[in-house]
Amino acid sequence: MSPIRDRAIGVAVFGVPLLWITVFMLLPYAIIFTYSFWTKQYPTFVPGFQFGNYLALFVDPQYFRVLMRTLKVSLLVSLFAFLLAYPFAYYLALRCKSSALRTWLYLAVIAPLWVSYLLRAYVWKTILGTEGILNSFLMNVGVLSEPSDIFLYNQFAMVVTLTYIFIPFMVMPIYTALEKIPRNLIEASSDLGMRPIPTFLRIILPLSMPGVAAGFTMTFCLTFGDFVAPFLVGGPDGNLVANVIVTQFGTALNWPMGSALAIFVLVIVLAVLSLSDRVERRYSPKET
Amino acid sequence: MTRKLALSALLMLTAAPLAAEGTINVLTWEGYADASFLDKFVAETGCAVNATYVGSNDDFAPKMMAGGGVYDLITPSIDTTQLMIDLGFVEPLDTAAISEWNNIYPKFLALDGIQEGGQYYGMPYSWGAIAFMYRDDAFETPPTSIKALWDAKSSGKVSLWDDKSSVYVAARLNGDMNIYDLTDEQIEAAKQRLVEQKPLVRKYWSTAGELVDLYKAGEVVISNTWAGYQSSLLADEGIKVTEFIPEEGAEGWLDAWMVVKGTPNRECAYKFLNMQLSELGQCGVANVNGYSAANPAAAKACMAPEQFAALHQDDPDYLDSLMIWTPLGDRFETYLNAWNGVKAQ
Repeated sequence: MSPIRDRAIGVAVFGVPLLWITVFMLLPYAIIFTYSFWTKQYPTFVPGFQFGNYLALFVDPQYFRVLMRTLKVSLLVSLFAFLLAYPFAYYLALRCKSSALRTWLYLAVIAPLWVSYLLRAYVWKTILGTEGILNSFLMNVGVLSEPSDIFLYNQFAMVVTLTYIFIPFMVMPIYTALEKIPRNLIEASSDLGMRPIPTFLRIILPLSMPGVAAGFTMTFCLTFGDFVAPFLVGGPDGNLVANVIVTQFGTALNWPMGSALAIFVLVIVLAVLSLSDRVERRYSPKET
Repeated sequence: MTRKLALSALLMLTAAPLAAEGTINVLTWEGYADASFLDKFVAETGCAVNATYVGSNDDFAPKMMAGGGVYDLITPSIDTTQLMIDLGFVEPLDTAAISEWNNIYPKFLALDGIQEGGQYYGMPYSWGAIAFMYRDDAFETPPTSIKALWDAKSSGKVSLWDDKSSVYVAARLNGDMNIYDLTDEQIEAAKQRLVEQKPLVRKYWSTAGELVDLYKAGEVVISNTWAGYQSSLLADEGIKVTEFIPEEGAEGWLDAWMVVKGTPNRECAYKFLNMQLSELGQCGVANVNGYSAANPAAAKACMAPEQFAALHQDDPDYLDSLMIWTPLGDRFETYLNAWNGVKAQ
């Protein structure tokens, strides 16, 4: 093959994706970043260079409070998803003897991803509502004498819904990490007299940390940017940062403020990513 | 200028298809281009109509900023029409080309946001009240005041429109009737009222369908509403609700058709405007959405007397009692910030 042809292929293979990324990712980031220094002025906004929008994020309680709330909900969702996903993935990867059962259970967790996210969130309304399935069930078994409204339209409902929706993203990487652990390491540990719990704590858990970090990162970041769950199942205190960004770009026509918020969210997501990258590298098997 | 460049660059990228001759694109509310009356117009004029629907008045500016040149006609409400003028998205109307123009309620034609500098920009189309509504089976004595939405008796069953208008409601509760001209202190007081109310609120509603669902599922028993619309949807579902205008008064809204600046389809656009202001369009929207008509002459001709009365077409006092939405201009941000602050609590 001639070098020219090699080059043409190289340009085609790498050039098109590079162009795509530049036009649809980098350029928009740059535009948002530029807007974030502009100033709101009726009817829209005017170019400028000032840090007022960023300052407002920390000074104005309406933004700071929502950021803290989003952080709390994201951490709770990631935590619950982890607590549910880890034992499940552990069972699948290390305990489940039947490979057919393993495949089916794995598919059962992944399958909801094929159903529209919106639909799945919507269904939770019918489950958690005052006249919903959960209330009917609790009344039938005699736990409640009258329907309770504590299940829907609050932060609890958001955490439940988002945990359900994002749990596949926790199961998949943890399962993959657990499956990759060489069985002979676990056997060696017990041969050397380690009991199951120390084996788990000193061999399995550390070796599966890259999967945990990846799962945590994905559920955290997906929750941090979510605006559908607050809209559908969140209550009066359910606004998350993505909803505020939508408001700034829509109702408020304050694209500069919305951009500053978006950049701040981007920074948090990038920070989480780099942290998780560190965790993954810390626990990855070292080359010797 | 930079913004314009950025926008036009964006436009080139999104490359909106050019509308064919004799086709108009309207950005409007559901029901405003309903087949029940539109089909006749299309058949008679040969003008095709593509309708895109908005969910809120806040959709107009972002859609126009991102996709100007796509739409020929838009229907913002009276709190948003001034913004469209100020943003330069709409052109003055040739009122001589609209045959029933002089039949429109004069009160509407005088409003800011309809006319400016001696020129008309909006053709009033339909109107109504932001009334309040309750579930009949939840109240022994029918509520008559906004206070009912702050009453602990309805705790966890209250809903309020997720809109700056919640500030108008709370201000009236405080006795501040200058709701479109509130001082910073009055807005702050209204905000405190709304924060106080929060524990009683089940959910702030943002679409008509959502409010209907909330009543249907037994989550909410009292709220504000777009008079005539959600209550009739609920009646269809067999849920008994009653609308009321509270002692503290109600806001009124008015939707107006506006012609997008530089539309290439002016001929069809004006045919469409004429149809909408005629009996066909005025009774069309009244029958589909349950809203009152802006042209009482047409309404009288095409409505049964009961409907004419029910929609308050013969009742100038009712219209005068409504606090018609007024553009807030640069005060808008303060109102909206107060409301966002409430939601952030």
